[in-house]
Amino acid sequence: MDKKKLEVSLLLEALYSLSGFDFRQYNQQSILRRIEHRMRINNIPTISRLTESIIYNEELLNMLLNDFSINVTEMFRDPSFFRALRENIIPQLQKLEKIRIWHAGCATGEEVYSMAILLQEEGLLDRTVMYATDMNESVLKKAQQGAFPLQKMQAYTKNYILSGGTEGFSQYYKTDNSYASFHPYLRENIMFAQHNLVTDQSFQEFDVIICRNVLIYFSPELQHDVHRLFYDSLAHNGFLGLGDKETLQFTPLAPKYRTISASERIYQKKL
Amino acid sequence: MNKKRKIGIGFKITSGYIILILCLVVSAVVLNNQITSLQQERNAIIKYDSSMRVMSNNLERKIVNLESSLHRYLITNNEKYLDKYNDEVATWEANYEELNNLVNNYSTGENQLAPIYNSINNWVNNIGQPLLNAIIREDSDQINTLFNGELSSVAISEVQQNFTAFRTTETENIQQHVSLLNDRNADLTYGLFAILSLIAIITIVIFTMISRNIAGSIDEVTEAIEDMNKTDGKNRKRIVAKTNDEVRDLVDATNMLLATMENRQWFQRNLAEIVTAYQGVHSLDELGEVLLNSLTTRTQSVYGAFYIQDVRNTNQFNKIAAFAETGDDVGRQSFMVGQGFVGQSVKEKRVLSYENKENSFHYLETALGNIPISNGIIVPVFFGNDVIAVLELASLKKYNEHHRALIKEVVVHLGVTINSIIGRMEVIRLLNESQAMTEELQVQSEELQTQSEELKMQTEELTTINERLEERTRDAETKTHALEKAQIELKESAEQLRQSSNYKSEFLANMSHELRTPLNSILILSEMLAENHDNRLSDDDLEYAKVIHDSGEDLLNLINDILDLSKVEAGKMDLWFREMDVYEIPQHVHNLFSPIAKQKDLDLNVDVAQNMVEIFHTDVKRFHQILNNLLSNALKFTEQGSVNVKVELAQVTPTMKQISDTWLSISVTDTGIGIPKDKQQLVFESFQQADGATVRKYGGTGLGLSICREVVKLLGGWITLRSTEGEGSTFTVCLPSLPDGNISTLISEQEVAFTDASPALPVPVTPPKTIFDEKHILIVDDDYRNIYALRQALEQKGVHVLEATNGLECLNILQTATRVDAVLMDIMMPEMDGYETMQRIRYDLQLTELPIIALTAKAMKQDRDRAFEVGASDYISKPLNLDQLFSVLTVWLTSRERLKNG
Repeated sequence: MDKKKLEVSLLLEALYSLSGFDFRQYNQQSILRRIEHRMRINNIPTISRLTESIIYNEELLNMLLNDFSINVTEMFRDPSFFRALRENIIPQLQKLEKIRIWHAGCATGEEVYSMAILLQEEGLLDRTVMYATDMNESVLKKAQQGAFPLQKMQAYTKNYILSGGTEGFSQYYKTDNSYASFHPYLRENIMFAQHNLVTDQSFQEFDVIICRNVLIYFSPELQHDVHRLFYDSLAHNGFLGLGDKETLQFTPLAPKYRTISASERIYQKKL
Repeated sequence: MNKKRKIGIGFKITSGYIILILCLVVSAVVLNNQITSLQQERNAIIKYDSSMRVMSNNLERKIVNLESSLHRYLITNNEKYLDKYNDEVATWEANYEELNNLVNNYSTGENQLAPIYNSINNWVNNIGQPLLNAIIREDSDQINTLFNGELSSVAISEVQQNFTAFRTTETENIQQHVSLLNDRNADLTYGLFAILSLIAIITIVIFTMISRNIAGSIDEVTEAIEDMNKTDGKNRKRIVAKTNDEVRDLVDATNMLLATMENRQWFQRNLAEIVTAYQGVHSLDELGEVLLNSLTTRTQSVYGAFYIQDVRNTNQFNKIAAFAETGDDVGRQSFMVGQGFVGQSVKEKRVLSYENKENSFHYLETALGNIPISNGIIVPVFFGNDVIAVLELASLKKYNEHHRALIKEVVVHLGVTINSIIGRMEVIRLLNESQAMTEELQVQSEELQTQSEELKMQTEELTTINERLEERTRDAETKTHALEKAQIELKESAEQLRQSSNYKSEFLANMSHELRTPLNSILILSEMLAENHDNRLSDDDLEYAKVIHDSGEDLLNLINDILDLSKVEAGKMDLWFREMDVYEIPQHVHNLFSPIAKQKDLDLNVDVAQNMVEIFHTDVKRFHQILNNLLSNALKFTEQGSVNVKVELAQVTPTMKQISDTWLSISVTDTGIGIPKDKQQLVFESFQQADGATVRKYGGTGLGLSICREVVKLLGGWITLRSTEGEGSTFTVCLPSLPDGNISTLISEQEVAFTDASPALPVPVTPPKTIFDEKHILIVDDDYRNIYALRQALEQKGVHVLEATNGLECLNILQTATRVDAVLMDIMMPEMDGYETMQRIRYDLQLTELPIIALTAKAMKQDRDRAFEVGASDYISKPLNLDQLFSVLTVWLTSRERLKNG
């Protein structure tokens, strides 16, 4: 097991040197599973062999990077979260002149577009600037296109309805043979940018930060760092939305937030 | 405190009262004496006055009686009067002496009685006695002389005068004496007031002194006691007693109270501070640190060490914190129970302190040298009955009572704290463990979800593939059947076709002949007529003849076009591939179209690209036909501007290369009216122009572009159109160079493409197999116009449309129809409305997965919400937007992939 750990840490060092992506502080078990997954698929017997392969094979390197950044996301994922946003957060945002929202770890952008639709329906889209960031550039490109596979659209429609959507979901997209493309006006105020939560700093002050199902892959220390980054990036009374399996509890910053919805993991920074 | 002989407050007050009473008594006695003496004097005066008057009057009357007795004796010669006279002569002197004594006793002054005596004596001796003698001797002369003469009465009145004078003098004396007494009385009254005032002043002075003495001290005490609450207990001033009485006791007691209070407050404050300090502490190390820091400074200790019972070996105590003013680490790392002084303390479970004045156990290193420490205290910390920790402190000075009390009190609380910290540390450790495990579980569940989603997707794909395979198998079976049937039919229809083709060809040949023959006559004759050889025709007639000729020619062209088209469609167009000089194209164009261009004042440019192949293989006649057609169209629909022809080599894609290495691209661009986007497809259809108005304005059969398209197809190429309404159009023809004329491998399916303003790749005209193909959609609406419109739109996409005008019909269809892929459901309907229908579909028919798209009016939000409640899959608002409708249907006709919430 110790040797395996060594192999993993060497692989992650190599990965960091080669790509600049720092997974050294990620949850080791999770990383190990992703590595083994890749090894199974590509039929590579040992982790060291995989390390060697990624040094000389850029394609494999990129595949591994994609494996590491788990991009599971849906539109209106956990509809109750979006319903809570709509009911609890939006009325407070109405008071702001300009709204800044950060989707950290936006993956392929489903949640960003969901948020844009929500804001559009609440009449806030025009005065909102959304920053959608991810460390993985290829998923960002996908996010920028705002086109999602047709097969998922029925489920997304159900999510949208459950989340309290007020219109017909279909008025936001147009279909072709395999994708539903969301209307460009939804992304007019979205800035897509690469940002690595592990290595990069805060870049603005935000009224809302959404970072869902990202932190669970991080080690506790790294989670604390990222929470600190979020705290520093939040405006006073700004909101933090986490994934349903993540919580602020037990983190040192917990006393600095008040809980808006414990079940939906929505918190507000105290003054 | 100075315990001198003390004079109590009671004593002071009693003395005061006694002094007061004494004063009063003295003054009362003095006054009484005074008043009594005054009274006596006054009584004496009164007594004297009355006695004096009585006596003097008696004496005076006696004298008068003497004379009268003598007179009566003389007259009556009665012995009785003589006796009386003698008696009185014998007693007057005694009466006088009596009066004289009285006066002498009373007054000290000159006796005024002497003249009286003398005058009485004078009368008695000089008058009375001779007279008596005369009477006895009966000497009348004498009697007359003495008696009748004035001598006796003068003497008597002298006596009376003397008496009057005496009384007057005495009365004056008495008056004088009385007024003297009055003066003394007044003096006495003043004296009385004076004494009262004096006593009052003395009283005030005494009581002021006493009260000031008592109240002042009590005020100070009160102030000090009040201060106890105000000040924080530090440097409180002491009260100084000025007297030596109960107040001094009170002051002393208060000062003691102050001292006790200060000590207690110091104790409680420090205890509270220490306890507060280690309240937020989460670890034992931190606790030890805090405890030692706070205790050592408060007890002026220089060394301190804190030991906690080992978790495993309960007989061992380990040092977790140490304090030394020097900053060094002090104390041994651990000790066993019973080992040394400290171990003994644990064993005996009691506080040990040591004082070692001679042989110091430790030296404190300072800059000045080593200073011996001689005082220490070892305190075991209990939890329940067990010692769980030990605290040792050492000082240069002896610990006083407060220090000891503080240390002991802190230690009393410490046991519980240590225990709770150990508990808390354990809880935190377990919490961290469980949190780590929870997080691990969460990650795993997330990953499992990912994997399950991947699996689901794969399953979905497999299912889809499977379905397709099954479908294909079914199709294949059906096709086999159909094929067999079709083969037979084919044979029959082939026969029929050949026959009908023959008929058609024959018919066309006949028609052309039959039509051309009379037309030729008309053309020739009308031309002849128009020449007007005999000049018999009027101008009007000439005009008519010209019109007849032109119409005839138009008709002929039309017939030729129809023939061409039918030939192409029947596959009877004969093609003759030969060499063509590309550089002849400009000449050809100019020859034919310059005149018209000039006439319409349009620029006509033909541009052949450089590096062009010279020789191009195609059917030159047909090529020209295409070019002419496009150019005449361009010139026809352009009012001003230019018409440009561009000839260049086309980009050859791999598919195109299979046909030929050389492809020619000829584009005709005009600045004419353009073609609206929705009409761009239609212009290639037979007999179609952009709209009726165009026909009326520009004429033409509308067959030209259809023929072009067909001919281009025959030549192995395709034609594309790019146009913006009002700005002009560009028709581009792509043709391969085919030296051997082999067109069997042509991409026969490549058809004319339509693109909008964007320069995209040619898209085949016939729509690709879309998601809508062969789909069955049920429209439920009570308005036949809506049904009609929807049916039109959907059928264009290849959808089979079923219709129902109310809910009941809808349910019937769903129960009987073999296949329904989606339902478009209106809400307001007679018989059974949309809500009930949807509910029944979901619950009665159990069609839970059937996509139902509700159509509601936009404004009705509650309609929309209710539609979702009763089971609508999605909704679009009326009036319908076709794009949106198709988008929705695309989504709901796509085989779905379920998400975790789906």
